Amino acid sequence: MSRFETSLSMWRRLAGIAAVAALLAVGCGDDSPAGLTGIVREPAPDVGGVVLPDEANGGSDFATRAEPGRLLLVYFGYTSCPDICPTTLADLRTAVRGLGDDGDRVDVAIITVDPDRDVPERVADYIHAFFDDGHALRTEDQNQLAAAADKYGAAFEVTTTADGTIEVAHSAFLYVVDSGGRILVQWPFGTLSEDMQKDLEYLFAEGV
Amino acid sequence: MKRALLLGAMLTMLIAACGSQAELEIADPWARTSATMQDAGAVYMTITGGDEADELTSATVASSVAAMAELHESAMTEGEGGTEMMMMQAVSSIPVPVDGDVALEPGGYHIMLMQLAEPLTEGSEFTVTLTFAKAGDIDVAVAVRDG
Repeated sequence: MSRFETSLSMWRRLAGIAAVAALLAVGCGDDSPAGLTGIVREPAPDVGGVVLPDEANGGSDFATRAEPGRLLLVYFGYTSCPDICPTTLADLRTAVRGLGDDGDRVDVAIITVDPDRDVPERVADYIHAFFDDGHALRTEDQNQLAAAADKYGAAFEVTTTADGTIEVAHSAFLYVVDSGGRILVQWPFGTLSEDMQKDLEYLFAEGV
Repeated sequence: MKRALLLGAMLTMLIAACGSQAELEIADPWARTSATMQDAGAVYMTITGGDEADELTSATVASSVAAMAELHESAMTEGEGGTEMMMMQAVSSIPVPVDGDVALEPGGYHIMLMQLAEPLTEGSEFTVTLTFAKAGDIDVAVAVRDG
């Protein structure tokens, strides 16, 4: 088990304890903010140095950090993914719509883990089906992609079976990144759109 | 004579009861809208079992919808170093319990549509033929929506 895994599971446990503490506080009638529902890692990983070509913007470099006053949501996925990826992105869309005006302060980027099949237009088309101004990050340089995933603590594997079927496994977190390039919170697959919305509202209320 | 009539009536009722045994039911079949260039889609629904255990063994759609449909399951797997990853695998059948539900839902069982003929658009509808080991073929109308 790598050091990262150890710390991740530790922080998950701490996040669990924090969640229980928050519940207890609510139970006591304390109306202090409930905090974040997602996973908070300490220290917050710095992903602002991850720069990849944005195929939604002619392949120009895009650094995964939010613009001031905004939040950037980053997802590692692929477009031949019919279940997990569209479910996550559709839930995020519901959450962002629920934010009202603050929804305009959210940017979304997908990083494809399957650049062979995900040609540039395809990734851009895919993210734009969910978010009109979404960013489509794609590199054919496997080292660059692996380095980006490493910064996030994301994992993926693309394998071709004996009968030629391409199988993709990927960690399915949505990462919330601030203008300093830090991951403030990340949501595992299955996080309810209500919880995503709650966390985004909390972060905007805290001042991003 | 009266007794014979009564007996006859009772027999008829028994036979009728046998004929109306609980059958398998399908609720809320839906598929998510797809992007213009997206080649895969997923169909979800809830299947409620009848009086006997059954299994969904295959699903088919017209070629005007997709080239192929397969039964799939998304599941958690562990990558190098123990990082949790989601992956999808084909399954040969989906069990339907007696008098219970099996959900085809995001993150679990689903019918994967491969090589979509055209994008799945909000408000449209298409037919999926479900083949069960015992109940045989059942056609369902799948509603396309954003989520």
